[in-house]
Amino acid sequence: MRSRSRNTYLLGGLWIGMLFFFTIILLNTAQAMDHSKMINCDAHHGTCTQKIKGTDIIFDISPKPVKAMTDLKFTITLTGKQGVSEPFIDLGMPGMKMGPNRVLLKSKEKGVYSGTGIIVRCPSGKRIWKATVTIPDMGSAEFIFDVIY
Amino acid sequence: MSSIETLYLTFLTTGFIVGFGHCIGMCGPIVVSFSLNLKTKGVMVPNLLYHAGRITTYALLGGVMGATGAFTRVTTGIGTLQKGAMIFAGLIIILMGLGMSGWIPLGRIFGDYCRPSGIIARSFRKLSGIQSTLAFLPLGLVLGLLPCGPVYTAMIAAAGLGMETQSTFNAVLAGMGLMTVFGIGTVPSLLMVARLSGMGWLRSRNLIYKIGSILMIGVGIYFLIKGFQY
Repeated sequence: MRSRSRNTYLLGGLWIGMLFFFTIILLNTAQAMDHSKMINCDAHHGTCTQKIKGTDIIFDISPKPVKAMTDLKFTITLTGKQGVSEPFIDLGMPGMKMGPNRVLLKSKEKGVYSGTGIIVRCPSGKRIWKATVTIPDMGSAEFIFDVIY
Repeated sequence: MSSIETLYLTFLTTGFIVGFGHCIGMCGPIVVSFSLNLKTKGVMVPNLLYHAGRITTYALLGGVMGATGAFTRVTTGIGTLQKGAMIFAGLIIILMGLGMSGWIPLGRIFGDYCRPSGIIARSFRKLSGIQSTLAFLPLGLVLGLLPCGPVYTAMIAAAGLGMETQSTFNAVLAGMGLMTVFGIGTVPSLLMVARLSGMGWLRSRNLIYKIGSILMIGVGIYFLIKGFQY
């Protein structure tokens, strides 16, 4: 009798555990879908623009289409007020820690900065990436886009 | 503190942070599978050996990155190996799951206490030469090749260090050091997972073993699919 009730508790616990497990999977899937709604830049087909304190930040990646695990050229063009030093880009995935991956940009001409970086491939299959462009002393802008694996 | 020391500290911290997020999700199932397989033994020594193997592979990759300074060229070169490692991990987890369930005569694959009784288990042991806890070291060496986003990021940093360093020898050492500290940073989270899944009360329940083995087979199939898609 006692062993029967112990088994009932055990089974109950297991079902709760499995429910928890599948809820996490569902939440992860939902989160991944939400991330696709965050896309604000079509990096495959052209440049993307955002504004910080009256300055347009034009973001570009080449070659196109944008592929992971290849050398990519990142270009930032600033129209209007310039930062106190060169801008830089931090690459990451929304909602997932991928480690520090910073692209340092060098000035090519007035207001145009470029540098080389790599977007790595996530084996989970998630393809949405975020480039946080920081203009020192002015602020930062996030460009969210998908890449090809 | 020099820039290289700062970078080491950054990647040690990165390893620690991604360990508790990314690694638990990606490598956690492998560690859980190992721990559940070690029915009567402590989980710490085999797990530490597994991590030592994994970190050694990271260090070697870091050395190559430092020497060449070419991330994309090296990753293209080892792409097939990484795909193979993912498929291998999937197969190992499925085999462990099947062995643990007792549904087919595999026996527990990495348990020293268990003499192989089934034909497949005997063949598997003969093929792999796995006889002891030491088997976790080569396993870590192979599975250290598993494709992983944060590992790639550390490899990019190692390649960057290589380009900044004048002598090739120093570049190799710098790359190896960076990947080693990153790997060390990931260990606490995975050891915690191993410790939790290796707890005696959990391992003594046959029903949990059965459910655990089903989950392991599911995770193994997931790794196989992802491996073939990679």
